Amino acid sequence: MDASPVAGAAASEDFAGMLRRHGLYPPSPAATGFAAHTPAPEQTQATTILAFKFADGVLVAGDRRATAGNLVVYDRADKVLEIDSHSLMAIAGVPATAWEMARVLEHSFQFYRRSQLQEMSHEGKVRALSKLLRDNLGFVMQGVGVVVPLFATFDTDADAARLYFYDAMGAQFEAADYAASGSGSGSVRSILHYENTWGKKPLRKMKEPEAVLLALRTLDTAAETDTATGGVDRRGRVYPIVKTVTRRGIATLSEKQLARMFKEKVS
Amino acid sequence: MTEEPYRWVEAIANRREYIEHQLAGGSPIAAVTYRDGVLLFTLGRERQKLFEIYDRIAMGGIGHPGDLERLRMSSIELTSTEGFARSPHDVSLRRLANYSLSPALKAAFEQIYGPPYLTRLLFAEVGRGDAPNLFLRLEYDGSIHTNGGPFAREFEQFGVVSGTALSTSLMERYLREQKLEDTTLKHAIGVALHAWLIGHLTLTDDSREDLPTHTELARHREEQLASATLEAAILERASPTPMTWRPLTDTAIRALLYEE
Repeated sequence: MDASPVAGAAASEDFAGMLRRHGLYPPSPAATGFAAHTPAPEQTQATTILAFKFADGVLVAGDRRATAGNLVVYDRADKVLEIDSHSLMAIAGVPATAWEMARVLEHSFQFYRRSQLQEMSHEGKVRALSKLLRDNLGFVMQGVGVVVPLFATFDTDADAARLYFYDAMGAQFEAADYAASGSGSGSVRSILHYENTWGKKPLRKMKEPEAVLLALRTLDTAAETDTATGGVDRRGRVYPIVKTVTRRGIATLSEKQLARMFKEKVS
Repeated sequence: MTEEPYRWVEAIANRREYIEHQLAGGSPIAAVTYRDGVLLFTLGRERQKLFEIYDRIAMGGIGHPGDLERLRMSSIELTSTEGFARSPHDVSLRRLANYSLSPALKAAFEQIYGPPYLTRLLFAEVGRGDAPNLFLRLEYDGSIHTNGGPFAREFEQFGVVSGTALSTSLMERYLREQKLEDTTLKHAIGVALHAWLIGHLTLTDDSREDLPTHTELARHREEQLASATLEAAILERASPTPMTWRPLTDTAIRALLYEE
């Protein structure tokens, strides 16, 4: 630390900017055309994630598989990450980039609260992720490090759950009812659309157990046709990660609850 | 002028006198251990004086608001980057104070053509698991006073900062006689308020050798509670999240203080 350590930094500097100043968050390469590069190497990819609004808030779920081409790299990946007491980020794409983004995001919300002495607004949080994705554009253009996340948060001011999905360039879209990302997202979206429109009740009217069951069945269906989506490994006790964000904060479904539900209702 | 050693020593002495004079009016801050963690406590009128630095570290300070702000931001920046680059478990108050803040304060203080920091800071770090709490006072010249904490025998369960050396030592004298471990938050607030009153009452009087009398304190307590804002925060040892900081509002503190 020099004698006036923060003199050069604006008081409003964001966390990612500060990390760059310390050389802890390397800048993305310039966004040049695809043609300039040799084809990207086979990369580890995190696959299917989904989120939808139910009666109490938002449910976010993801399978556990990470692949590289047709190779299964990892079957215990955690793709639903807690960012703060009321925000979840789910990741599809390259985990190397995605987990780093989640870490930056988590630290940046804390850093903002501590330095500015107020909570970041929910719009601010949503934009922060958008900005990280935008900063990653150079890697996206080179075909490495593409991340397409979902972000779910509870807006305490409006007392309402919010759900956003992003594209790889950082555009943010607010989802009315549901969102999905990753290789199995095609079937997931089809099922959620069908359930929401012609099912017994719209997603938003579902109580938590119904919502969890739907999420598990949907992921199971995705795994049926998409090789990159991991199914359930009962012997290894590997179940999808299911979390909810409500007024009260984040809750994670225990392995026990999921095991029981799988046994009774899914298969 | 400063090429001559004697002149340099004289300049430093003048500077010390000037800073002590500037800090002499600072409203004390008391931090004490209680059953569930650490309580930081003060009374104020104008601005926030207690701050969250990192998951288990809090700061309070007296002095110039600009300097306090610079040191607060540096502390947050240093701990946040460390927590990000390594892990939150690697962030420690000992390292923050000894390796980063103290050398910077010393350098600013002794480079007599540059401005010194007009502050005196109190840091508290709540121990992880069974580890003791660390209380650390950092002076404008970079010198450090601690309660021993995790790297020596823990000989005190409190830390204080005040405008004058006398006021500080009287607060410490009172706190040394209090039982703090295994006490409730309500009790800790009572003790911290008492320590604050002793510190505040003795700021303006350098001839005093003994603690103020009960009558003096009772009168002072009544006056201060009527006119000032109570500020407190706790670091909760067994917090459900990694963050242990919980600020307490004036209303919440008064409710505990007057509760039967």
